[in-house]
Amino acid sequence: MADQPRRFVTTTVEVEGRTEQRVVEVPAFEPTPWGADAALTHVGARARRVDGLLKATGRPGYTTDLRRPNQAYAAFVRATVARGRVTAVDATAARALPGVLDVLVQADVPARTRLFFADVTYVGQPVAAVCATSQEVADAAAALVRVAVEPLPHAVTVEQALAGPPVRPRIENNLMGGAPELLERGDVAAALAAADVTVTREFTTPCALHSAMEPHAAVAEWDGDRLTVWESTQGIYRVRENVAKALGIPLADVRVICEAMGGGFGAKNYAGAHTYVAALFARRLGRAVACFVDRAGEQVDTGNRPSSWQKVTLGATRDGRLVAIDLEARIPLGVGGWEGGPGDIFHELYACPNVRTREHFVFVNTAAMAAFRAPGHAEGSVALELAMNALARELRLDPLELRRRNVATHDQKKNRPYTGNRLDECYEEGARRFGWGAAGHTVPGKPHLRRGVGVAAQIWSTGGGPPCYCTIRFNTDGTADVMAGSQDLGTGTRTILQQVAAEALGHSLAGVRAVIGDTAAAPYAGNSWGSMTVASLAPAVRMAAEEARRALLEAAAGLLNVAPGDLETRDGRVIVRDTDRGMSFGEVTAKLGNVMIQGHGSRGPNPQDAAIVTTGAQFAEVEVDVETGVVKVLRIVAVHDAGRIVNPTLAESQLEGGIIQGLGFALFEERRLDVRSGLPLNVGLHDYKIPTLADIPAIDAHFLDGADVRANHVGVRGIAEPAIIPTAPAIAGAVADALGVEVNDLPLTPWRVLGAIAR
Amino acid sequence: MHLTVNGRPVAADPAGSATLLDLLRDTLALTGAKRACDRGECGACTVLVDGRPHYACLTLAHACAGRDVRTVEGLGTTAAPHPLQEAFAAEDAAQCGFCTPGQLMAAAALLAENPDPSEAEVVAAMSGNLCRCGTYPKIVRAVRRAATTLRERSNG
Repeated sequence: MADQPRRFVTTTVEVEGRTEQRVVEVPAFEPTPWGADAALTHVGARARRVDGLLKATGRPGYTTDLRRPNQAYAAFVRATVARGRVTAVDATAARALPGVLDVLVQADVPARTRLFFADVTYVGQPVAAVCATSQEVADAAAALVRVAVEPLPHAVTVEQALAGPPVRPRIENNLMGGAPELLERGDVAAALAAADVTVTREFTTPCALHSAMEPHAAVAEWDGDRLTVWESTQGIYRVRENVAKALGIPLADVRVICEAMGGGFGAKNYAGAHTYVAALFARRLGRAVACFVDRAGEQVDTGNRPSSWQKVTLGATRDGRLVAIDLEARIPLGVGGWEGGPGDIFHELYACPNVRTREHFVFVNTAAMAAFRAPGHAEGSVALELAMNALARELRLDPLELRRRNVATHDQKKNRPYTGNRLDECYEEGARRFGWGAAGHTVPGKPHLRRGVGVAAQIWSTGGGPPCYCTIRFNTDGTADVMAGSQDLGTGTRTILQQVAAEALGHSLAGVRAVIGDTAAAPYAGNSWGSMTVASLAPAVRMAAEEARRALLEAAAGLLNVAPGDLETRDGRVIVRDTDRGMSFGEVTAKLGNVMIQGHGSRGPNPQDAAIVTTGAQFAEVEVDVETGVVKVLRIVAVHDAGRIVNPTLAESQLEGGIIQGLGFALFEERRLDVRSGLPLNVGLHDYKIPTLADIPAIDAHFLDGADVRANHVGVRGIAEPAIIPTAPAIAGAVADALGVEVNDLPLTPWRVLGAIAR
Repeated sequence: MHLTVNGRPVAADPAGSATLLDLLRDTLALTGAKRACDRGECGACTVLVDGRPHYACLTLAHACAGRDVRTVEGLGTTAAPHPLQEAFAAEDAAQCGFCTPGQLMAAAALLAENPDPSEAEVVAAMSGNLCRCGTYPKIVRAVRRAATTLRERSNG
């Protein structure tokens, strides 16, 4: 007994750049890694998205499509001032409206739901909610609720907040932690003093809104003490935990379902006010209640990528080796949030012995930030990469060459190697595909147009990790259910699960079915965030499949009168090796009847002595109209190293999607505020511009071939967030190249571009 | 009021303020057309009224009396998909899929009018349909693929 291996160990887990120590389970066995040369049938294939046709035929299953029997609808009453104290809520007129069923104010809600604080700390904060028989009546009634607020002075900018009183209760200082977050390696001051060349630049990036097409939404229904919540979410298990805690009910009584969801991008990681309002009304009224956030609420109160001000100083030798990187940053978080700041990428992307980041995270009277696709890195890469371009000009070096001279060879934050990092190959392959160095600045016959090119790079932790589970069970007809408590944001989770399971089982793709999005049906999987889903889930799925396959072979061996070791599986058949004797999976399971073949898989810990990252480079060409200031992106070439690609088509879709979001961040997207009132000025999709079909350049989205078997036994890493990180700086660099003038404030709206030209 | 929805006669009694989107989603349980902005900004609710694309969220239900409304549910089924639906699946032109029904109906209107659209014509016709996942490159490919299929079908 003494030598029994430990089943539970403590390990470091990394999410969105934050690391935590956690107890994890060590899997009972570790499958042999699928190396880069492994002969795989389904994994790596351009399999069709398994629910593509369902989506193209108007599938039901989105939370906002749900119509439970007798379903009622809730709507929020929101604050219209940035700071104040609610003195009275008068819902008399609302209650009198025919169809109104109930009203919730602060006195009606459990404290743990954190709903309807009397202290108003931002415009759009929910102060009450109304429930009615239809959405139209609920909305009309919400508008009739009279909220008396005693206004207080507010602060919506960093400068206002640092000079003023606390922007919300329970904090003493608007500067998070009372001091800037400082991280330094080496001696930046000394290195800058000794550098051959230094450049210093200031940059700003805008506050960007996730703007998922499906708003935040929940439908709640009670059956006695048991609650079912349908939620448009990136994390069914996290919503379950949030709801149970907020309402003070056992986890066993809460079931969360997300069959399909219309986009998240980081904003749908938790239960929200809408979830609790739906659950509370449903309990009070004894009927199903839907709370669908409307578009204005969605754009005001469901998270954002905070804006940034960044001042960067780079020091280098005359031959272009970085000797120092220095960042000073100010980030207005909103009334809450976390330090998902721009600093990390400054420590990671380039080889440099001396790096210092000082980030001021400041609470202000706007809605709290939320993770938004590569939080921090997307903002930080703008400043770091544009500063690199400035350094390249100073050194009279090609910006690509400068980058290639400074590729990081190991994880400098923790002084450990990477499991793999082929960034230099990405530069090389990208430059080849793009034709770097060949493009000119002018367009014959069109003197008002100027063209330019830019390049930027990316690094992001994408190892995924435990805990994450999968159960596979064979049905009596030989089909298999692949059950995992994950969800599909639109990335293709179901398809990936089925490809990995079919591969490891030796099944046909049509013979397996993913069961996800239901806490009652499948074991725990984490949130779909941090580019973690595939890297966390695929190894657990593979392990479950290997265990189920082993059991199936043992059963088949008896039926075929051979040893299990003489059997192999292929395309849904058990075959006696080197013969044509065999049985289909269905024949085996039919003989077994309801004796169930099952496999259970868990995700083991990541290697602790190596860093798992996805890297990549993107190249942009733009055309700028110097008379109107309009920027048109002509083409983007993206080459990333993300380990094994389970499905190239789906991976390209995500890469294209990240690039297009990055294009919006570079050119149009900016939540604007009226500083005097704190009112958001562009709360719809007309005034808050996201890219349309007309804005899309030619995109060449490419992944290097390979498999990262040091990361995990499937060889996979994440791809979703890496896609967006380099796009905006590549585009902004191209605009500067076109104009011969630096443009260091995003988004590059026509008036900003014209302003840069005028300088 | 009476109207035709996906080829079937429908009798309904919507409130004067009800939109076509309310009628489709809440009365007829046709939830393919999506409520994403409810103010004519995103195109996720696009349906055909007498063959022309309409934002259902900006169209009053009563304005559709006597008219022919087509939604994504009337385009085809998983068993018998319309060439556009087949092309969207084949080209991976849907990520989260929420905007997809609107994209499909905008594309159906385009192809009814222009069976062989250039890339620029697809872009011009469909720029009123937002997709936050950024599936646009594949949407263009899917629409042109479906156009080819439909032309071959009508020639064959």
